[in-house]
Amino acid sequence: MIVKTLLAAIVAGLISGVFTTAAQELRVTPLILHAEEFEGEAPAAPNQPSGQQPAATDHQHSLNDASPFGTMLATLSPITPAYAHEHEGGHEEGGVMFGMSRFSGTLLANLVTGAGFSLLLAGVSLVIGYPITIQNGALWGAFGWLAVHLLPAIGLPPELPGFPAAELGDRQTWWAATVLLSAVGLYLVALRREVIAKISGLALIAAPHAYGAPQPLDISSNVPAVLGAEFAVAALATTLAFWLVLGVVSGFINERFVKPG
Amino acid sequence: MATSTVSSIPLSLSDRLTAGFVALMIGAFLVFGAGLANSAVLHDTAHDTRHAYGFPCH
Repeated sequence: MIVKTLLAAIVAGLISGVFTTAAQELRVTPLILHAEEFEGEAPAAPNQPSGQQPAATDHQHSLNDASPFGTMLATLSPITPAYAHEHEGGHEEGGVMFGMSRFSGTLLANLVTGAGFSLLLAGVSLVIGYPITIQNGALWGAFGWLAVHLLPAIGLPPELPGFPAAELGDRQTWWAATVLLSAVGLYLVALRREVIAKISGLALIAAPHAYGAPQPLDISSNVPAVLGAEFAVAALATTLAFWLVLGVVSGFINERFVKPG
Repeated sequence: MATSTVSSIPLSLSDRLTAGFVALMIGAFLVFGAGLANSAVLHDTAHDTRHAYGFPCH
């Protein structure tokens, strides 16, 4: 029964992943490709015309060369030297795995991400004891989108290739912490009745923004601002569609195939 | 309210929690691998997905 429950979540995630891949081709992927035409011209960013080229060393350079402050952070951070060591060891050469095309790589990544988010959603549902059904599936999806995409996007909006950004490790830490705090906060606000729970939920949601997302010191970029604005909206709209499909499909599969009778 | 909703998940409490935590762990592993892992091959394969999902990238 446990396996069946997990399989149901994975299937829902794979279906949503296929849907998302199609949805991304409409607007998000063309904007990424467009932005990459400007990416190589950026003075601080090394040439990386497409995802096909070996990127490991380039990334390391971009972290170190970005700014004096970035260098200082790289020196202080316990994570970055380890990455640098790994890359200098020559174990990783980059490139899309298995020699797949760029589109296949994106499809594979969407399937994995879809299954991952679906399992996380199912996991939360199982642990807190509120099942995902057809009726509340869209609501589950909307809350997933709020926690994973909209609330973190307030501090770190979806970024195009070539955009200026703070050190990667700092941003990933802030992003992961914000997703976690937002999820717990939303649970407290939406599903707990006590006033004190709702207030602490709001405080948890606000906390990472009061702390502040890591920001780049130099915000100049060769990528046109209009592309960035279009991309942010397109990315958030596409992920909203992904989460709504995920929630509803999860609810459908739960009621149709997992629930006995 | 709570009991009536819980009963529609056809698992005992301990099974439900086990399934839930297993799902959370596998899900976090998959999302980390596709979205955050600092491997050049994983990054390049998932490049467009990482940008599209707004994962911190580059």
